[in-house]
Amino acid sequence: MAKPTDSWSQFYRLAVGLLLIYGLTIIWPYISSVVIMLVFAFLFTTVLLPSVDLLERKLGKRVFGVLIITVAVTGGIGLFIGSFISQFAGQAKTFIEQVSKYNFEEIIKNLVASLFAKMPAFITAILPQGDELTEWLTGLASNVTTYFQNLISVAGDLVGAIGSAFFTGLMVLIFTIIVMQNYHNFKRSMVHFIPNKYFEVGLRLTFNIERQVSNYLRGQFMAAASVAVMSIIGLLILNALGANLTLVIFIGIIAGLANLIPLVGPFVGMVPAILIAIMNNLGNEAAIAHKLIVIPSPFYILDIILMFIIVQQLDNNIVTPKLVGESVGLHPLMVMIALLIGGTLLGPLGMLLAVPTAGIIKVIAQEISFVSRNAHLL
Amino acid sequence: MKSALWENIFKGWKKEESATVLTLKQVPIFEDFSNREFREIEKLIHQRTYKPKEFIFKRLAPGEGMYIILSGGVEIYAEDANGSRNVFAVLDEGDFFGEMSLLDAEPRSASAISVDHSELLGFFRSDLMSILDRNPDLGNRILLNLAKVVVERLRHTNNLLTEAQKQASDG
Repeated sequence: MAKPTDSWSQFYRLAVGLLLIYGLTIIWPYISSVVIMLVFAFLFTTVLLPSVDLLERKLGKRVFGVLIITVAVTGGIGLFIGSFISQFAGQAKTFIEQVSKYNFEEIIKNLVASLFAKMPAFITAILPQGDELTEWLTGLASNVTTYFQNLISVAGDLVGAIGSAFFTGLMVLIFTIIVMQNYHNFKRSMVHFIPNKYFEVGLRLTFNIERQVSNYLRGQFMAAASVAVMSIIGLLILNALGANLTLVIFIGIIAGLANLIPLVGPFVGMVPAILIAIMNNLGNEAAIAHKLIVIPSPFYILDIILMFIIVQQLDNNIVTPKLVGESVGLHPLMVMIALLIGGTLLGPLGMLLAVPTAGIIKVIAQEISFVSRNAHLL
Repeated sequence: MKSALWENIFKGWKKEESATVLTLKQVPIFEDFSNREFREIEKLIHQRTYKPKEFIFKRLAPGEGMYIILSGGVEIYAEDANGSRNVFAVLDEGDFFGEMSLLDAEPRSASAISVDHSELLGFFRSDLMSILDRNPDLGNRILLNLAKVVVERLRHTNNLLTEAQKQASDG
């Protein structure tokens, strides 16, 4: 039978725990952005840590390693964003000029009519009928055109949004530099607070979580890099076949980055490629009449989709199993549930963080189960 | 005036060695390390305080690393099936124990309990991994020294076994 003091102690702990949770819900709106910045700083540190450790080993001083990595990463990101903005602005300008040159509705109507003429009857029967489809497509096209035209007029709003994103990025960068420099001291200070009884268990838990997250993130980033390279090669091959695609390197990088979000990401990568293929080939008869073997593939859309499917298959079956392997060891159903929960709670950001978070929860659950089974040994 | 200036400039050169470094210098695993290397190890190890009769670890618990006694005392023992305590060693300042756990996660072969107010330094497998990542030369020297300690123990055990076999055949 439990002693009364034990019951009081349990009640006291429960009350303190509930009060802490209540307090956290009140202050969460004020601290959430800083917490998310810190989470990102720790995630970036986890990815960059081996490089910083390696440079510390070679140069003898950690601060030099942190400095070199910071300059390389910020320089790379700055170069990417700068050249992307300049090339994207040029692309948008060309597109608006092209759209005003042609009768867009006419092109879409002709395209739908020629497609329907080439398709077998059983397919045309299940598809929405000609006018309906034309209306939808012209509506979509005029929306895209309006969007690009509005883009220039809403430049003022964009400057504000970019300023805010720049501030967030700067804060994450500063946090990342601090965490990279003091990572090992932070870790030691954190485990210092674990009571003696649970110290070795706590140390193992910290080590396992760190290894899990670091393996997963490093594997994911390497897989993303390989998807980017394979997509760029694929797009260059399509260009050699006459697809007339521009911003190839950026599309590749976007496809690679989108790949960081499991299941959904691969499809996100296709969208900019298809949009650019349509923009660049407006009025190009050869591109509109293009066929993938025998199937009509206007604007090389099917070719692009097929190319991304091949890249995804190579990534899913060869690259990711080699790089990421069983690093998280979650059942595919659990991955899907984690993605749905993450997406519902935090949107795309939640989907990005869902799988490593589920992996951390799994490690904690395994350790709790171990501790409860071996409580007599502690 | 002149000497005060020079003393000020070189004040960092004559750093007093901390009690931690002085204790680490007595441990064969850190044999022949430079002061700079000791400072690097000092940044990684964990200082823990134990009350009298508080367990450091229990027998059969998975081992994570070794402990070095900074002050106080530790008793290493195992209980047999009848519950009677078999004390293997009572260790004090400068002694170390649990070093085999740096190499594997096998269960502890004995329990360790603090006999006094004790300050211990913990050096764990994850710390060793970290050193191997960041400074492989230092990590390899720790592993080599650890191997020397293990080999020395094995040689001692072999001698005891040979003596026991000899006594059995004589008897």
